[in-house]
Amino acid sequence: MFRNNYDNDSVTYSPTGRLFQVEYALEAIKQGSAAVGLASKTHVVLVGLKRNAEELGSYQKKLIKIDDHMGVALAGLAPDARVLSNFLRKQAMNSKMVFNRPLSVSKAVYSIADKAQQNTQSYGSRPYGVGLLVSGYDDTGAHLYEFQPSGSVLEYYGASIGARSQAARTYLERNLEKIRDCETPEELIVHGLNALRDTLSQDVELTFKNTSVSIVGKDTKFTTYDDEDVQQWLDKLDSVTNSTHRDEDDDEEAGDNAEDQDVTEDRMETDE
Amino acid sequence: MSSIGTGYDLSNSVFSPDGRNFQVEYAMKAVENGGTSIGIKCKDGIVLACEKIINSKLLVPGKNKRIQTIDNHIGVVYSGLLPDGRHFVNRGRDEAQSFKSIYKNSIPVPYLMDRLGIYVQNYTCYNSVRPFGIVSIVGGIDENGPHLYMIEPSGSYWGYSGAATGKGRQTAKSELEKLDFENLTVAEAVKIAGKIINQAHEDNKDKDYELEISWCSYDTKGKHEFIPDDLLQEVLKLSQEDDDEDDEMES
Amino acid sequence: MVTVRSESNLKNATMNHDPFAWGRPDDNVYGKYNQSIAQAKNNELDAFPKMHTQQPIITGTSVLGIKYKNGIIMAADNIGSYGSLLRFSNIERIIKVGSETVVGVSGDISDFQQLERILEELVISEENYDNQGENNLRAPHVHEYLTRVLYNRRNKMNPLWNSIIVGGFDNDKTPFLKYIDLLGVTYGSSTLATGFGSYLAIPLLRKLIPDDKDYSNIEEEDAKKVIQECMRVLFYRDARSGEKFTLVTVNDEGVKFEKDVEVTGQSWEFAKNLVGYGSKQL
Repeated sequence: MFRNNYDNDSVTYSPTGRLFQVEYALEAIKQGSAAVGLASKTHVVLVGLKRNAEELGSYQKKLIKIDDHMGVALAGLAPDARVLSNFLRKQAMNSKMVFNRPLSVSKAVYSIADKAQQNTQSYGSRPYGVGLLVSGYDDTGAHLYEFQPSGSVLEYYGASIGARSQAARTYLERNLEKIRDCETPEELIVHGLNALRDTLSQDVELTFKNTSVSIVGKDTKFTTYDDEDVQQWLDKLDSVTNSTHRDEDDDEEAGDNAEDQDVTEDRMETDE
Repeated sequence: MSSIGTGYDLSNSVFSPDGRNFQVEYAMKAVENGGTSIGIKCKDGIVLACEKIINSKLLVPGKNKRIQTIDNHIGVVYSGLLPDGRHFVNRGRDEAQSFKSIYKNSIPVPYLMDRLGIYVQNYTCYNSVRPFGIVSIVGGIDENGPHLYMIEPSGSYWGYSGAATGKGRQTAKSELEKLDFENLTVAEAVKIAGKIINQAHEDNKDKDYELEISWCSYDTKGKHEFIPDDLLQEVLKLSQEDDDEDDEMES
Repeated sequence: MVTVRSESNLKNATMNHDPFAWGRPDDNVYGKYNQSIAQAKNNELDAFPKMHTQQPIITGTSVLGIKYKNGIIMAADNIGSYGSLLRFSNIERIIKVGSETVVGVSGDISDFQQLERILEELVISEENYDNQGENNLRAPHVHEYLTRVLYNRRNKMNPLWNSIIVGGFDNDKTPFLKYIDLLGVTYGSSTLATGFGSYLAIPLLRKLIPDDKDYSNIEEEDAKKVIQECMRVLFYRDARSGEKFTLVTVNDEGVKFEKDVEVTGQSWEFAKNLVGYGSKQL
């Protein structure tokens, strides 16, 4: 029997204990364009690569503000992201209303994690088809979380989701110490754009039209930069095209990255 | 597995001709690959510990806690699908609060387990839901002293002196069986817990792990809380010292 | 209707054998059942759509609060009155919420006990569930939460019959002191008092701290002294007050409860000059 019988809904385990529908939902994230998040000790930056469906169409938004101290980047089904971010906005307003304080970032992410989990344990609804990077600044400092449709959330110093995001992850891992020690938000944004640049395919470059940048942190409200406002950050880069394509004659670099791209591990969240 | 392809394993709440509910068994499979969790019942309290595999060096160390608190006096650790674990804990919290709102007293651990058993069992009864993909170890102190339970996807639960689940459960179980639970104190048990997790991790040594340990004892005034940082560091050091000795002996 | 009952008649005729009224008293014997008694109709109350709390029952009197340079001090006596009856003399009306906040409650004691439960639930969910060091429950959060609870109850026309003072530290670690009442009204000040205290104690407290911001010059001892004085004046004049009270200090060293503090330096000299009340006639 070739057909996989265990992948029709999210209430059926496979004989090995996997939930294929949930894993497929994680694949939906990879259909979306890349988003990268990274945190220094005081700030969190999100950057995203926007896509337009056609030349004359507008670009799909990648960054959504939740509150003055919090915002998300998305990859995957944008409508699902809107549902989740509207929910987050409600939570944030509720925290102000009831406790007179901004919603803590961990509480925020766990609220959508629990919401997403419900869709993986009952028939008749599908899991969310979107991954989120949640950035925020609260009493305990700057935080970056990755949210997945499985209902898993994990806190990272640097994370990336969406198409070819492994390349960005590689950049983040290699530059982790520099990123953690960033003194100024500007440095952090440049690192973010460098990582995002590594996800580009050969014929694409970062432009002020397809790049979104946001920052939040100490004494910095969540701010997004789009269109003309992004140019100031692009100007700080040494190049706006993917370095792996640029240095194609540099065997070591290219080989290294190709290897990274092979790592397409399925990351349905168990704790292993 | 001879049953695969017969169709009796495609839907929850369906018995196979020989009386098995395959979806519940498959849920158990999700647990068996998860990081190891253990619980130890001592004379003066309980200790919970788990092995947290570090999948990426970008993860923030010391965060993304796996051991959770249901009520002041009750803690949980689980292996398997972690989001299911949060669902389970949220239900436990609701039960604890509703008990308190009716009786003012804190919920007794056996009663909580009874309620959670019913809840988890319910998820094996209908084809519109799936069983929980976790095995949870629940420990706490109430007016009758320390309690330790382990509950499975089927909804069945048992009381334990030492409980283990997840990938390294076999190793952990055989280590736990050596303990003298009658005379053990939590102070001793945290160190043992660290060693057991370390041993259970051996098979999976290629990946780093983080150790999480919590306790609930008369010394903590019946409160379930993580052990202090300096103690955790000490436990970690102890568990790895043993490692080195073993290596030496082998060579 | 006069019926002659024989022994057998009594046995058989007292019960209704109609399947729809099986076992009920037989209408033929006892007359038709009066439904309105069974439903205990009270036409006076039924004229209202619904009736909730109209008055407090067991009550606690004033709570006093004052800021000083390192924190706040709060005081409340231990009396629970049933109208003018001194019903209970061992009631603690100031409770600790979280690690550095106190809440003092006057008004209905059963509503206060309900608030105690609500706040305990709040503390468990805020401080124990997945807490990774953030979300410390501070006084402004407790205050805002209580305000929402009381305001919502008032909008349901079913108030919690209390006046509350919340004391502790603000987000910037400066002393925090705010008042909430059964209407959901709230205000903050360096000197606060509920109930009778708002007439008798406030003027004395304001003598020490005339301007709101001046609390930062006040020493703990001076603040304590004026609270003692207020409790004495209240004991003189407020017939629902008690001689023993609980004094709570919140400062950077933590929360300190002093129980069974007595009103000191009493002088009833003035009493002999009071005429026109009670038995002594002009």
